[in-house]
Amino acid sequence: MSKVMDITTDNQPVAAPAPVRKPRLRLNRDMIQKFAALGSLSILLLVFSLTSNAFFTVSNGMSVALQVTSIGILGIAATCVIITGGIDLSSGSVLALSGVVAALLVKAGMPVAPAMLGGVVTGSMCGAINGFCVTRLRLPPFIATLGMMLIARGVALQATGARAISGLGESFGELGNGVLWRIEVDKGGTFPEVIFPGIPYPVVLMCVLAVIVSVMLSRTTFGRHIYAVGSNVEAARLSGVNVRRVTMMVYVISGALSGLTGCVLMSRLVTAQPNEGVMYELDAIASAVIGGTSLIGGIGSISGTVIGSFVIGILRNGLNMNGVSSFIQQIIIGLVILMTVWIDQKRNRS
Amino acid sequence: MQNVSVAEAGRHPAHLAPMAPPEILTLKNVTKRFPGVLALDRVSFSLRRGEAHALCGENGAGKSTLMKVMSGVYQADEGEVVYKGKPCKFICSVDAEAAGIAIIHQELNLVPHLTVAENIFLAREPKRGIFVNRAKMRADAQALLDRLKLRISPDQLVKTLSCAQQQMVEIAKALSLNTEVLIMDEPTSSLTESETGQLFEIINGLKREGVSVVYISHRLDELKHIIDRVTVMRDGKFVCTDEFAKISLDAIVANMVGRNLDQKFPERTSVPTTETLLTVKDLVRPGVFGPVSFELRRGEILGFSGLMGAGRTEVARAVFGADPVTSGAIWLGSEQVNIKSPIDAIAHGIAYLSEDRKQHGLAVRMSVAANLTLTNMDAVANRFGFIDFAREEAVSQKYIAALGIKTPSSKQFARNLSGGNQQKIVISKWLFRDSKIIFFDEPTRGIDVGAKFAIYQLMDKLAAQGIGVVMISSELPEIMGMTDRVAVFHSGKITGVVNTRDTTQEQIMHLASGSGAGSMA
Repeated sequence: MSKVMDITTDNQPVAAPAPVRKPRLRLNRDMIQKFAALGSLSILLLVFSLTSNAFFTVSNGMSVALQVTSIGILGIAATCVIITGGIDLSSGSVLALSGVVAALLVKAGMPVAPAMLGGVVTGSMCGAINGFCVTRLRLPPFIATLGMMLIARGVALQATGARAISGLGESFGELGNGVLWRIEVDKGGTFPEVIFPGIPYPVVLMCVLAVIVSVMLSRTTFGRHIYAVGSNVEAARLSGVNVRRVTMMVYVISGALSGLTGCVLMSRLVTAQPNEGVMYELDAIASAVIGGTSLIGGIGSISGTVIGSFVIGILRNGLNMNGVSSFIQQIIIGLVILMTVWIDQKRNRS
Repeated sequence: MQNVSVAEAGRHPAHLAPMAPPEILTLKNVTKRFPGVLALDRVSFSLRRGEAHALCGENGAGKSTLMKVMSGVYQADEGEVVYKGKPCKFICSVDAEAAGIAIIHQELNLVPHLTVAENIFLAREPKRGIFVNRAKMRADAQALLDRLKLRISPDQLVKTLSCAQQQMVEIAKALSLNTEVLIMDEPTSSLTESETGQLFEIINGLKREGVSVVYISHRLDELKHIIDRVTVMRDGKFVCTDEFAKISLDAIVANMVGRNLDQKFPERTSVPTTETLLTVKDLVRPGVFGPVSFELRRGEILGFSGLMGAGRTEVARAVFGADPVTSGAIWLGSEQVNIKSPIDAIAHGIAYLSEDRKQHGLAVRMSVAANLTLTNMDAVANRFGFIDFAREEAVSQKYIAALGIKTPSSKQFARNLSGGNQQKIVISKWLFRDSKIIFFDEPTRGIDVGAKFAIYQLMDKLAAQGIGVVMISSELPEIMGMTDRVAVFHSGKITGVVNTRDTTQEQIMHLASGSGAGSMA
C-alpha cells in the first residue's frame, strides 16, 4: 500500500483550481425527505390524538404496531429489492402460499415450529425462482414477479380448494398472538388487572428484522454491493461485484420474509387463508417509497421504510377510529403516496 | 501585423474588402450568478453571420453557462443580448429556437425508436386534419437530408444509426427550424476521424449558406478545419477574441490555463523491461474481433490505436472478462489463466477503466468513498463482512490526497465532481486493488487540459512501478506522447505493433486505415 504514496502529483503545472462543486443542499435534502416522512407521521399522531380519545393509548399503540407488522416486514423486504433497481410484486401471494404450506404441514402431523420453517423455506424458494428468472432468463423483475404473483396465489388456492384451513391447534397461534413482558396484577377480581398489555411477538419480530436488515444494508459489504448494483449495475459488474449473486440473494430474502410474514399472519388468525395478503405487495412498495426509497434503485433505507409503513398503518387506524369509511381511506392513502413520490422526484431532479 | 491583415483580406471575396460581415448575435458584459458562484463575469461575445466561432476554456470556465444564456436556457442577470440588431430576452429555449438559435448538446436528444423523419419533426409534425401528413413529413425530411448531402433514409430508425449519423440528424432538425445560429457542444467527442471530417464538411456548407456556428470542443487541433474566430474564457471571465489565423494553438492553450504550457505530456520516467506480464494469443470474438494477439511488458505503456469500432475497447473488455470470447488464450507471465468474468480478471490483478465513466465506471449516486473501495471491499471489512468505516475513511483520504481529488469530503456523491476528478476516483479504485495490469480506455476524454496532464503523469508513475499499462486512445498526439509501443487496430485485427519512437503519426494512420504495412516490432 506504500505504493500509493508514491503517486503524488508533484511537478505538475499548477492547473487553475478546478471549481469544487459545493455539496449544496443535497445532504439536507435527504434529511428533509426523512423528516418529511417523520414530520407527517408526527402530524398524524397529533391530529388523531386530538380527534379521538382512544387513539393515544398504550393498547391502541400496540394494536397499531401489530397491524403494521405485515406491511413493515414486507416493506423491509421490498426495500432490499427496490434498492437493486428491481421490484417484487409476488410478496402478497408468496405470503399466502407459505402460510398455507405451514398449515398443511401441521395438518399432516408436523410440529408447529418446523412446519413454519417449512413455510419460510417455501417463500425462499419462490424468491429463488424469481431470482432465477431475473438473473438467468433475464426477464424484467416486474414480469418475473408478476408471474410468480399469479402462480403462488394459484397454487395456494388449488392446494386448499380455496377453503380456509382451521383447527390448527392453540400452539399454531402462539407466534401471532403471544406477547412479551405482559404485566398483570392480581387484585383478587375475576380477571387480573392489566398494567402493561405486553409487546406482541410480531412487533418484536419486525423490530429485530428491521435492525438486522438495516445493519446489513449499511454496514456490510453485501449491503454495499446491493446499493452498487442499483446505482450502476455495469459499474458494479466491472468492479468485480457478483451482480447475479447479489440480485438472486435479494429476491431470496424477499421471498423468505414474505414467507415469514405469511406464517405470522396465519398464526394470528389461527387459520390459513389462501386469500390472505392480496395487494399487500403494493402496501409494502408504498411504504418503501414513502420512506424515500427510489424506484430507480441505489437509494433507500430501512428506517425510512419503517416510518413509511407506520404512516400507512396509523392513517388506517386513525381514520378507522374517526369513523372514516374504508373507501375514503383508500383515497387518502393514494393521495399520500402521490405526494411523497412527488417530493421524491423533486429531490432527485434538482 | 500588417501583412496578416492582407492575408485576412485575401480570405474574403475581393469586392467585400476586409470589412467583416455583420454581427448576428452580440453579448455585452453579460453577468450570471448562481448561489455562491459567479458563473459569468461581464463576458462579451460577438458572432458574425456565416462564421464558425470556437469557444475555448477549461472545464468550469463558463462555456456552458454562456451557451445557455445564448440559447435562452438561462437569463443574464446583467448585461445585454443583441440578436439581429435588436436587444432581446429569450424567456426560454423555445423562444430562442423560434427566433433561429438552436443548440446541439453533447448528449443527443433523439428518440431512438422513431424514424429519422419523425425525430426531425417531433412535436411539429405536418398535419392533415388530425392526422400526421406522413408523405409531406418524409419529403421535407428528405429535402433536409439532401441539403446536408446525407445518405440516410428518412424512414430509418434512429437507434440503427451511428453516433455521427445521429448528430447529423440533430443538425437536420436544427435546420428544419430555419436556424441561423447553431451552437454545438463537443460534437466530435464520440466521432471517428472520418466522421469528424464529414461533420466539418457539413459545418463548412452551413457557413456558406450564412448560418453562424458556435463551436465548443476540447480538441483544439481540429479547429483549423472550420473555425474563423476563437474566444477564450477562463474562470467565468472573457479573456480574448482573435481571428483564428492570427493565433497559435499554444497561445490559445496558454490563454485557457493562464500559464504557458511548455509541455503537453510529462517526461517519461518509466523504462519498459523485457519481462512479459501479459500474453494474449489468438483471442476471437466472432463478428467483433479476432484473432488478436499481443504482449504487454512490465513497466511499459502500450498504446491501442485505431479508428473507433476497430475493436480496441472490445479486446480490452474481453481480456478483462466483461465480454465472452469463443477461442484464444491468455497468459499472465508463464501461467495460462482462464478468465470468465471481471471477478476472475480482478483476482488476477487486471483492471479496466471504461471509456464511459458515467455508464460503466462510477456508481454516480454513491459516495466517493464507496466508489473507491468497491473493487476491494474485503480490505476494509472484517471477516464477517462488516465494513470498518474508520479504515474506509483512512483509505479514501489517502487516495484523495495522493491523486489530488478535489472533493469537499469523501461522503460527497460521485456525480457532483468534475470529469477529471471522477476519472481520478476510477483510477484510485484500481490502485487500491493493487492491480498489475491496467487498461485505460480513453482516459482523458472530456477532461480539461490541466487534469489531462495529471492523468498522464499518473500513468507514467504506474508504469515506473512495474505495472503494465495499456492506453486505448483515439487521439494520436496522446499515443505518440505517452506510449512505448503501439498496437494499431483495423476492423477487429491488429495490423501492426510499432515502437513509438520509430514511428510517425502518418504510419499509424496508415495501419489504422488498413492501407499500409508498418515495420513490426
